[in-house]
Amino acid sequence: MTTTTDTALSVVDLSTVDGLTVLAEARFPGADPSRQPAPLPGFVSSSFAPLIAQAADDCLRQVHGEAPAPADRGDRTAVVVVSVRGDLGTATAVAAAIEAGKRMPPILFFQSVANSAAGRVAVTWGLRGPVVCTSPVGDPLADALAVADLLVVDEAADEVLVVLVEQGAEQATALLLGHRAPTTE
Amino acid sequence: MAEAHGAGGADVVVTGLAAIAGTGWDLAALGERTAAGDPAFTPVTRFDAGRYRTDLAAQLPGDPVLADELVAILDRACAQAGLGADERVVSPLLVAVHGDPAVARLPESDRTGPGAIADAIARRAGLGPAPRAYMTACVAASTAVADAATMISHGRAHRVVVAAGYLVEQDNFALFDAGRSLATDGHVRPFSAGRQGMLLGDGVAAVVLESAEEAARRGATPVARIAGWGRAGDAHHITQPDPEGGGMTRAVTAALRKAGRVPADIGYINAHGTGTAQSDAAEAAALHRALGTEAARIPVSSSKSVHGHTLQAGGLLELAVTVHALRTGRLPVNAGYAGPDESLGLNLVLGRPWEREVDHALTVNSAFGGANTALVVARV
Repeated sequence: MTTTTDTALSVVDLSTVDGLTVLAEARFPGADPSRQPAPLPGFVSSSFAPLIAQAADDCLRQVHGEAPAPADRGDRTAVVVVSVRGDLGTATAVAAAIEAGKRMPPILFFQSVANSAAGRVAVTWGLRGPVVCTSPVGDPLADALAVADLLVVDEAADEVLVVLVEQGAEQATALLLGHRAPTTE
Repeated sequence: MAEAHGAGGADVVVTGLAAIAGTGWDLAALGERTAAGDPAFTPVTRFDAGRYRTDLAAQLPGDPVLADELVAILDRACAQAGLGADERVVSPLLVAVHGDPAVARLPESDRTGPGAIADAIARRAGLGPAPRAYMTACVAASTAVADAATMISHGRAHRVVVAAGYLVEQDNFALFDAGRSLATDGHVRPFSAGRQGMLLGDGVAAVVLESAEEAARRGATPVARIAGWGRAGDAHHITQPDPEGGGMTRAVTAALRKAGRVPADIGYINAHGTGTAQSDAAEAAALHRALGTEAARIPVSSSKSVHGHTLQAGGLLELAVTVHALRTGRLPVNAGYAGPDESLGLNLVLGRPWEREVDHALTVNSAFGGANTALVVARV
C-alpha cells in the first residue's frame, strides 16, 4: 500500500534499492504552504525538531492511526533523520549565547544533537529500532534510501521511518519504508 | 562454537587503525595510558573555561584543526593497511562528526553541514566517495562502523574506511556545562561510588575495514576482526537512557548473535561508561539483561575515565582502545574509582591493567535519542 498526504503521486524512486517499498509518505507543509508545524514541548529556538515531528506524525498516522505503533512493528522500526545542514536554529542559538557571553540555556543542551528530535519521534510512536542521523553529501533522498537499505539488509529493522528535513526551506518529508511484498502473480 | 561470518557473508577485518586523543599523538600512547588508567585531563587552554563548573578536559596540545587531523589520521590508517593511491580512491569513506563551530557563525545562507566536511576530507585524503556524515551524537562513529561492516559482509564493498573526530571547543563545553553533565571534582569515575559526571576529550581516529578475502588478496595483515554488530533504540526518553537498558540489551544481543558468540565467550567489555549516575546504571542493567550471569564475571572498564568523552568520535576511539587491549593482552583500568556501587554488580578492572588473553571483546555506546550500539571485536 502506498499512501501520500499530497495529491501528487510519490516521487520516490526505489529503482536502485532492492527489497524496499514505500508504505506511507508525508510532505510538510504539503498543499498548504502557510501551514506551521505543531509546537513541540521541550524544543525551542529552532524549527528543526518540530518539522521532523510533524512530518513523522503525518506519515505514521496513515499507517498506525494514533500513536503509539503496535509493539510488534514499533520494536522493529528504525528512525533515520537526514539533513544536509543539520539543525541550523539550535547551532545559531548556541553560537549566539557564546558570542554574547551569556549563560547557556540548559534546554539547548538537550536539543543540541539531531538525535533528540529523532528520539522524540521514537518515544512518541514506540519505535525501538536503530536511531540514525546523517548529513548526506549528494542527493539526500538517494542517500536516505541507501541508509535504510543497509538497516534492512542487516536485519537491524524491518521498517524504516526516514525523515528528510531542511531549515530555510522549512520543509520535511517523511517516508515509512518496508520490505517489498513478494510478487505472487 | 563454530565461527559465524558477519551476517552470513564476508568476514570483516581491520587492516589499518590509527588514533590520537588527549593521551597523545598516537595509538600507542592511547593504549598505554588507558591500560594504566592514567587520566589525561588538564585545564582547558583553547578558550576561557573559568566560568564553567570545571575547566578540565583531555586535550592534545595547542589548537589543532579537526579537518587537518582527520586527513592526517586517515593517512596513517591507510598506510598501515598498505593502501596505495589507486586503492584509496575506490574505498568509500564514512565520517562521523558533529559540525564545525565556525560554520554556525556564518550567515545562514553560507552555511554547510557535516556532509560537506566528510566530502572535503575524502577528497583531501584521496579516498573514494564519502556518501554522508554520521551526526548520531555519541553513537555516530559506531553506527558508521556498523554500516561499513554491513556493506562489506553483504558484498556492497570490499573495503570501507571510517573516520571520526571531535576536538574540545567552547560550544559543546558550554552545552555540557549547562546540562550539568560535567564532573566538578575533576575525575571521571565510571560505575564508581561518588561518580559526578563526564569530562570532554579530544579524539580523532580512523579504521580501514575490508573483507578477509580482500585483505588476503592484497597481502594485508589484519589486526582484528569485527565479528558482530548491533544497534537498537530505547524509545524511552529524548535524552535519558532507559533505566532498564532496553535498547542496549537488544544491541548487545544482536551483536553476539551476528558474531555467533555467547556471553561466556566475551573476555572484556569496553563500556560506554560516561561516569554519570543514570547512564552508568542503565548500562549496567543492560549488560546484566544481555549477558546474564556472565555480566558479573566479564572484566569491564570505561576508557572515558582516561581520554574523556569524545562525543561523535567515541565509538571509534573506544574501538581502537579495545583492539589495542586484545592485541597486548592488557585490559584497561577503569580509572577514577572511588569505591563500589554495589547496585551495579560489574567486575571492574581496577588497580593495574589485567593481563588476560582475550579472544572476543564487546565495545558499547549509547546516545541521546535512546540510540545504542554494540560491536563484538575478535582477536586475530
